[in-house]
Amino acid sequence: MSEKSDLVVHRANDVGGRAPGGPLTRDEHEMTPSEKACHALLNVLDVHKLVNTEEKRRAVEDLGGQIIGSLTYYERCAVAASQVLMEKGLITSEELGRTMDDVRRRWAVEP
Amino acid sequence: MTDVHAAVETADGPPDYFEVLVAALRELLVAKGLIGADEVRAMVETLDAHGPTIGAGLVARAWADPDFTARLLDDATAVVEQSGIDNYDDTRFIVLEQTPQVHNLVVCTLCSCYPRPLLGLPPDRYKSRPYRSRAVREPRAVLAEFGTRVPEDVRIRVHDSTANMRYLVMPMRPAGTEGWSEQQLADLVTRDSMIGVSTARRP
Amino acid sequence: MTARFGVGERVRIATRDAPGHVRTPVYVRGHVGVVERVLPVFLDPEQEAYGVNSGVGIRLYRVRIPQATLWPDYRGNADDVLELEVYEHWLEPAEEDPR
Repeated sequence: MSEKSDLVVHRANDVGGRAPGGPLTRDEHEMTPSEKACHALLNVLDVHKLVNTEEKRRAVEDLGGQIIGSLTYYERCAVAASQVLMEKGLITSEELGRTMDDVRRRWAVEP
Repeated sequence: MTDVHAAVETADGPPDYFEVLVAALRELLVAKGLIGADEVRAMVETLDAHGPTIGAGLVARAWADPDFTARLLDDATAVVEQSGIDNYDDTRFIVLEQTPQVHNLVVCTLCSCYPRPLLGLPPDRYKSRPYRSRAVREPRAVLAEFGTRVPEDVRIRVHDSTANMRYLVMPMRPAGTEGWSEQQLADLVTRDSMIGVSTARRP
Repeated sequence: MTARFGVGERVRIATRDAPGHVRTPVYVRGHVGVVERVLPVFLDPEQEAYGVNSGVGIRLYRVRIPQATLWPDYRGNADDVLELEVYEHWLEPAEEDPR
C-alpha cells in the first residue's frame, strides 16, 4: 500500500497494533453534564433512527486523523451527529448555526 | 429536571463550542418535533442507572451457582434479560470465563464498544489510543501496566469487539471466600476485572 | 439464511481496501484463522453507515487467529490468540495448512 492509499484505507480510528503505542493513560475524568447529555442525545437519535450507531461511527471516521487526534470522544460525536443530520436534510446548517447563536446569547457566552 | 435552556456548569470556565453545539442540537431537534422534550433527560437517567455493580452481581451469582455459570457461558443475552436487567439498547452479550489456564482480555480497537447495560460507560483508559492499539499486539505488557501479571504458560485470548457482540469477563473467584454471600462476593468484583485487565479483589 | 462457514473451519480474511467505513480492521486483513463461533445475521454495517437502510443481513462469525501469525515481533505463549467478529462477506475458505 502506498503512503497515500494507506491514509485512505487505514482510517484514523483503526488503531489495532499501530505505532506509536506509548504508555497507557492514567487520568480518568468524571463525565461532565454536557458529555453525558451528548451520549444520551446520540442514544436518542439512534432510537429514533435519525442517526444510527453505524452512521455516527462512519461520520467520526470521516472527520479524519487530525480532528480525531485533537478532539475528545464526545466532541467528535457531537460534530459527527450534526453532520449526519445535515446530510439527511433533517436540519440545515443555517438552522443549527442560528440555534447555536441563540444558546450563546442565553448563556451570555462569547462565540 | 434539567432546564434545557440553563447554562451548563463546567469544571473550567464558560461553555465551549462543543457544549454549545450539543445544547443547540438538542433544542433544534426538540423544536422540530424529531425528539421529545424529555427524552434526553430520561436517557441520562437510564445511563446513570447502569454501572459495574450490575455486572458484578452476575459474576457473584455465577461464582455461587455452577448452573448459572453454564447458562451465562451458553447464552449470556438470554440470561441477562431473564435476570431482570434492563437491556436498554438490545445489546448481545458474550461472557468469557477466566481460568487458571486461560486469561481473557477485551478491547475495541475501532471505537469503544463496551457492555454498557452491565458495566455503565467505559473508562477513559479503555477508550484511549494506547490501550486500543497495544492490547491486541502486546497483551502481557498492557496487563503488566495494570499491575496484572499473567504467567507465560497461561494462554491469553484477546477479544476485539469489532461488531455486534459485547463482552463481559468473569474473573476467577478469589480463595478464602467459601460460604460468602452473593453480596459479599459481588463487592470483590471490580470493573477492571470484568474487562480482563485485572483480577477480582482478594478478601 | 444458512451459514456459509462452520465452527472449526479455517477461513482467510479478505484484503479488500475500498475507501469508506468497514468493521474489519486492517491488522487482520489477509490473515487466516479458525471459526470460533457462528453468530446471528445482522444488518450490513457498511450499508447502514451510509443511511442506505437496505435491510441487507450478513452472517457474523467469531474468528480466532494465532497471535504469532499476526505480529512478527510477538512475544508470549505460542497458543495466545486474537479473536474478533468478522462478517461473512469478508471471509473466504482458507487452503489447508501445508505444514
